Amino acid sequence: MTVSAVQRSPSDAAAGSSRGIRRRRPAGGRKSVAGQRSRVSYFFVSGYVLLAVAFGVFPTLYAVFIAFLDGDGRFSGLGNFAQVVGDFRFWPAVQHVGAFLLAWLVGLLALVTLLALLVHSLGRRWLSSSIRFVYYIPGALAGASSVVLWLFVLNPTVSPVSAVLHAFGFETFVQTVSPGNLPVVFAVIAFWTGAGGWIVVMYGALNSIPDEVLEAARMDGAGAVRTALHIQLPMLRKWISYMAVMSLASGAQLFVEPRVLSQASHAVVPADWSLNQLAYLYAFKQQDLNGSAAIAVILLVVSLALSTFFVIRGGLFERD
Amino acid sequence: MSTPQTRERSTRIPKRSVAALTVLSASMLAITACTPGASTAEEADSEYGFATVEQKSDAPITVWVDASRQPAADAFVAANPDVPVNIETYDGGADGSGSFQTKVQAFDQAGSGWPDVVFSTQNNDAAWASQGSDPFAAPLNKGYFEQSFLDGFTEGALAPLTVDDTVYGLRNDLAPTVTWYDQSLMDEFGYSVPTTWEEYQELGEKVAAEHPGYIVGGVGDAFAEEIYFWGAKAPVNTVVDANTFSSDTSDPYAKNMAAIIDDLLDAGVLAQESVFSPEFVQKYTGKVLMLPGPVWYSGALFSNPDSLNAKPGTIAAGLPLAWEGEEPAAGNVGGGTWFISQHSANLDAAKKFLEFVTSDERYQVDLAPGLPAHKAAADKWLAKQAEGGFFTGDFTENVSAASAQIWDGWGYPRFSQEAVWAKTVTPKLAAGESLVDLLPEWQKAIENEAQVNGYTIK
Amino acid sequence: MSATSTSTRPRHELGPRDWLGRAFTVVVLGFFVLFFVVPILWLLIASGKSPHDLITTGPFAPGTLDDLTANWTALVQFQGGIVFRWLGNSAYYSLAALVITLLTTIPAGYALALGDFRGRKALLTTTLVVMLIPNTALVLPIFLELSAVNLIGTPLAAILPFSFYPFGVYLTYIYFSTSVPRDLLDAARMDGCGEVAVFRRIAIPLAFPVIALVGFFSFVANWNNFFLPFLTVPGRAAPVQVGLTELLSNVPAFNPTAAGVTAIQLPTLAVATLLSVTPVLLIFLFSQRFLVAGLTAGGTKE
Repeated sequence: MTVSAVQRSPSDAAAGSSRGIRRRRPAGGRKSVAGQRSRVSYFFVSGYVLLAVAFGVFPTLYAVFIAFLDGDGRFSGLGNFAQVVGDFRFWPAVQHVGAFLLAWLVGLLALVTLLALLVHSLGRRWLSSSIRFVYYIPGALAGASSVVLWLFVLNPTVSPVSAVLHAFGFETFVQTVSPGNLPVVFAVIAFWTGAGGWIVVMYGALNSIPDEVLEAARMDGAGAVRTALHIQLPMLRKWISYMAVMSLASGAQLFVEPRVLSQASHAVVPADWSLNQLAYLYAFKQQDLNGSAAIAVILLVVSLALSTFFVIRGGLFERD
Repeated sequence: MSTPQTRERSTRIPKRSVAALTVLSASMLAITACTPGASTAEEADSEYGFATVEQKSDAPITVWVDASRQPAADAFVAANPDVPVNIETYDGGADGSGSFQTKVQAFDQAGSGWPDVVFSTQNNDAAWASQGSDPFAAPLNKGYFEQSFLDGFTEGALAPLTVDDTVYGLRNDLAPTVTWYDQSLMDEFGYSVPTTWEEYQELGEKVAAEHPGYIVGGVGDAFAEEIYFWGAKAPVNTVVDANTFSSDTSDPYAKNMAAIIDDLLDAGVLAQESVFSPEFVQKYTGKVLMLPGPVWYSGALFSNPDSLNAKPGTIAAGLPLAWEGEEPAAGNVGGGTWFISQHSANLDAAKKFLEFVTSDERYQVDLAPGLPAHKAAADKWLAKQAEGGFFTGDFTENVSAASAQIWDGWGYPRFSQEAVWAKTVTPKLAAGESLVDLLPEWQKAIENEAQVNGYTIK
Repeated sequence: MSATSTSTRPRHELGPRDWLGRAFTVVVLGFFVLFFVVPILWLLIASGKSPHDLITTGPFAPGTLDDLTANWTALVQFQGGIVFRWLGNSAYYSLAALVITLLTTIPAGYALALGDFRGRKALLTTTLVVMLIPNTALVLPIFLELSAVNLIGTPLAAILPFSFYPFGVYLTYIYFSTSVPRDLLDAARMDGCGEVAVFRRIAIPLAFPVIALVGFFSFVANWNNFFLPFLTVPGRAAPVQVGLTELLSNVPAFNPTAAGVTAIQLPTLAVATLLSVTPVLLIFLFSQRFLVAGLTAGGTKE
């Protein structure tokens, strides 16, 4: 039935769905199994859709809407966007977040996958289970409660890792959090708190690969590296792309870590370091909700654009 | 077979989404139309001097305090059991959290939910709480509070809360800067206590030569400029009016002070670490010859066993330093503020509460940790502190004098000068740059911050 | 052909490449164990030190039991034991939201992965968009919504927004679309099962790992959420993250005006931090096995 492939809509083609043909509705008004199935599907998604509309869609539309209004509620076109982009803190914040994203995404994707594979290759279950637990522990430390931790860990005088800090040439807390270091510092902090959870997810994903496939590969003489590269990684494609999209989103929205360090350093790390922090300042310090929404829309558009890449490459919307 | 299906499909969807979007847009318009300024019924009320909501004499008042001020609220409740009070604790806006402003902003949008009385640890909240079409803070000197009560505050105490001659709140405590010094070390080294900035610089150079390792001051904190530049009368933070701001670091006062700081930094007699940092305690316990700073260094540093832990009878507080031939001027680092909400339904109870917590002995003298802003309470508080005999010299007189000498040329804008200093100057000083060279950059940073907070630069 | 488990692999001779591989594994895994654990170790030790010792002794110098007791006492006496109230609030909000989340996201993920309905792509895209917009932009509209129905300050003001968990929907969607073959469901349908029965009897048992995953991550996300509860459930109804910031504001190092009885010292803050993460870690410890169990193929052997 490849004739229909030519006439499929562009969105179907872009998603690369090879089974899109299955989703065609039968012609006419026949109440078919497929129709009943779709009604049940509506029922299944109804609870989530309700919550999504109330706490996702409506607030998002509200935010996008007010980004185009001025303070008195009149339509102002791109006025807020121009104001925000011209703010002296905007481009530095963009650079900060960009540098952070680069350091973090690369580190996270590479290291989480590597660590998940390595932990999965361990023979003893208690060992892999304990290591996963240890890797996860920092993930339980949410931002607000970790101020005291970073206040000390980043201070070469009292830090448990002072040897490392001294090796980099940092003698004081202020030196450690000097502007040039911050993207990497935040990338390390974000990795420290975030990697454990993703390793658990990837580990579970690795467990979903059928034994027969791995056995066959071993029979064919593939070593660990070949198996990883040619069998396991391709089967993890969707998961990795999901991790990439999620990390991109949370990275672009970086807020908690700079805020924590800003508190710990008494504003030496500024309160406007990241774009999301700037949006917060606009909304709650400068009482300019429209400017804040404009920043949010900018972040959204950029995140969407970048994640489309991962969605398509990773086939996130496909179904086998 | 498939073609009419796909075509049908592609035309059906847009209509549906258009319909959905219309419905959503309509509801959006409805909400945004309703939300701002949904204020309650107002009547112009000359008794209070501003438009109030309907007053109910038995309406409970909601009071926001931080944990350190909860004893104040508790003391009021114990002394006035017939006044219904709901106490809620929050972080007090400490460390620049901005939670007071954030919450009020949210309530303004929703049109309800404001507390009646709020304590803030920051002293510049009046700059935003007094502005806008429906400001939060109630004006106090238009008929609400008696002028005689307001006059009972130390001269200049209410300056942070006064915008365009209207007083929008009451000051809880004062934090003038004094010249802390170690009398025992002065005696040991044979130095006399400086009274001018010029003498201070000379002493610093002497100490560097004769007793390296000892310090005469510190610039590692975000409030360093409030000690040194405010005390030097530098016009770096001039709030011209509610929407105009000016900053001039090329003024002689500013440049001279920057030169002194550079000189002492090069000599190694100024600490670059924050006074709260572990390094400060490790390096300088017993080595603090002088430390110009706010009054609350008394409990936070000198008598604190976890900090400098000075021996009783060694530390003294001298008058603020002056320029040669001029009157002393003190800086100011902190001092909390109390506000009453315009939207309160029981303004009389709120007034009673505020009068108690700012001036009543049962809190301000017996329990308060800081120098009260109300003059009568302050005198008694100082006497009580002097009873302990921890500090030597004319502690009471000098602190009392300093509290009235806070230079009035330093404004209280909507943004934080401390944050600008910490972000712009502290890292560069730590990297070894000269403060004199940093002055233009500092001024530009201040002006930028002022502009995004709605000020026009003069 | 033979369903040998991975633990009984045929014994090869361990050549140099194998040793190299093992060494690599040990070094890398060991390095990261240190990386993740050292700051936590520090926190544990710091909780048992006095404020003076924290500043003056080495990071790994042990504290004393007396100091630990003093720090703990300071914490539980703060505002009459409010820390336990905060913890209770967090537990209540997170658990209640977890139940609602599971009830809504598992079926939704299932339908998105294996169902057939118009708007599937739209829902996926919408979910993605909502996940990508910064939450600072969403908090105020949510606050306004809840305020309009007078829910601010009530538990629902935290529970309902928490229950919306798009991350969970995506997780479930990916899981169902990669690990549950359609043939399995078709087989059940051919046997005469209705759609709901197919979901209940076939999909849910197979989905046990993802249910555990979504449940766990949702619980943790709710437990750690700060900004929304800060606005919607302040004061005594606050969860532990909001409470901790209030605790922080009483540390003299962060707020010089905090003095006297109400002052909290840094080691006490460390105790509070440890206390706030313990429930999460305990749950993780006990549920780890379920979280990582993957679906081993075995359902569609024809």
